[in-house]
Amino acid sequence: MKWLLISSAVLYLASFKRPVFLAALAAGLVYLGSRGLALGRLPLIGPQDTLAFFSSSIGLMALPFVYARAAANERFFTWGTGVFAGLFALLATPFPTLNMPLPPVLDTYWFELHVALAFFAYALFGIAALFGVVFLMQGKRQVLDLQYRAALVGYTFFSLSMISGGIWGYYAWGTYWLWTAKEFWTSILWVYYSLYLHLRLKGQSWDRGFAWMGIVGFFVTLFTYLGVSLLMRSSHSF
Amino acid sequence: MLKPIYSFLTSLNLGLWLMTGVMLTLALGSFTRASESGINEMPLLFWLQRAPLSLSWWLWLCIVFLAVLFLNALICSIDALRKKGRSIAPHLMHAGFLLVVIAHLFSSYGGYKQQMQLTEGGTIGFPDGDQVLLERISGEVGQMGMLSSYRAQLRVKGRIEEVQPNQPVFHQGYGIYLKEVALSPVPMALVEIHREPGAWAALLGALFFMAGNVMLLAQRKGR
Repeated sequence: MKWLLISSAVLYLASFKRPVFLAALAAGLVYLGSRGLALGRLPLIGPQDTLAFFSSSIGLMALPFVYARAAANERFFTWGTGVFAGLFALLATPFPTLNMPLPPVLDTYWFELHVALAFFAYALFGIAALFGVVFLMQGKRQVLDLQYRAALVGYTFFSLSMISGGIWGYYAWGTYWLWTAKEFWTSILWVYYSLYLHLRLKGQSWDRGFAWMGIVGFFVTLFTYLGVSLLMRSSHSF
Repeated sequence: MLKPIYSFLTSLNLGLWLMTGVMLTLALGSFTRASESGINEMPLLFWLQRAPLSLSWWLWLCIVFLAVLFLNALICSIDALRKKGRSIAPHLMHAGFLLVVIAHLFSSYGGYKQQMQLTEGGTIGFPDGDQVLLERISGEVGQMGMLSSYRAQLRVKGRIEEVQPNQPVFHQGYGIYLKEVALSPVPMALVEIHREPGAWAALLGALFFMAGNVMLLAQRKGR
C-alpha cells in the first residue's frame, strides 16, 4: 500500500488547486486507514507511521483554512501547505513499517490520544507559520488573524495532548512529569505558544514580530518532534 | 512606592520576559546531564539539595522565573477580575497554570518512589511498615518472543488485586506499578511504589485550563 503514500506525496506537491489537495489528503488518509486496519490500532509507532500521520494531519488541519473565505485567493497557502504535507509524506517513504504489536505500556487510549493530538497541534503550528510567510509577503491583516486562529487551535490541541500524556504517565509510571529531554522541549513549545498568544495583546505595532513568532514556532515544533528524538535521550525514544 | 512595584508585577512585558527566561533555562537544562543524575529518582527538592550547582543552576534560575511568573499571572488575574465586563476565560487558564505550579511544588516536596525486584511470595514494603504480598506473576509471549501482556496478583489486606501496565493498584495513598516482568528462569517482577501528592492539583489545574481554553476558542470563533 506504499504506493498510496507516494501518490499522496506527489499530489500534495502539485496541489496548486484545491481538488488536487483534497485528492492528496484522501490518498494519505486511505493509506493510514489501511495501516490502522492491518495493525488494529492507530499507526503511531516508528518513523514511517508517524511521518505519514503528521503529513495527513497537516492536510486535515489545513482543510478548514484552505476553504476559508479569508484564504480563498491565497493559492500560495494551499500549495505551501501541500508542499509541507508532501515533504513529510516523502520523508516517510524510505523507512520500513513497524508491524509489531504495541508494547503493553503503550497499549492504552491515553497514548493514542496523546500522540494524535500532538500531531494535530504540530500541523496547526506549521499552518500558522505558513500564514506568517503569507503575511510578510502581502501584509494583509486578515492573514495574521488566520495565523492566530491556527496557533490558538493548535495550542488547545497541544495542551490537551500534554494533559492526556500526564494522565497516561501517571497510570503508566506513577508520575505525570519526568525530567527528560522530550518533556523539557514539550514545555518549551507550550510556553513558546503561550508567549505568542500573549504577544497579540501588544497591538498592531507588533504585527510583523507576531508573524515571525509564528514562523519561528514551527522550527521549535520540528526540534521538539524530530530533533529531540534524533539527537537526545528521552522517555519518548521507544 | 507600592504602586510602581504593583504595576511592574502586573505588566505584560514582565510576563513575556519571564516566559522567555523559563524557555531559555529549560532549553539549557535539556542539554545538561541532569536527567542522568537521579533527578527522576527522588523528589525534586531533595535532588536540588544534593545536586552540585554546576548541574542544577539552570533549574534554580527556572524556579526563580516561574515563581515571579506565578505572581505575575496571579496579580494580573486578580487585577483584571476586579474590572467589570472582562472575559473570565484567560483567568481560568491562569488559574489552571497556577494550580499546575502548586502541584509540582507538592510533588517536589512530598513525592515518594521506590523500586523493587520481586519473585512470587515476595512482599512490597511501604514507608509506614505496611506490606503487600505478591502472590502470582503471569504473562503471555507474543509473536516476536516478547511479552505481549503481563500482570501480577497482589494480596492487599486480605483481598486479591491485579496490577498490570497502565493499571496500578492504589493502597494508602501509594500507587503500586508493575514495570517489567520476566517469566524465566523464575517469574520475576520489577515493581515500583509511588506517591505523587500533586497529582490531584495537576488534574484540577488541567481542567481549569482547558475550560478557559475552550471558552477562549468559542469567544474567538468568527472574530
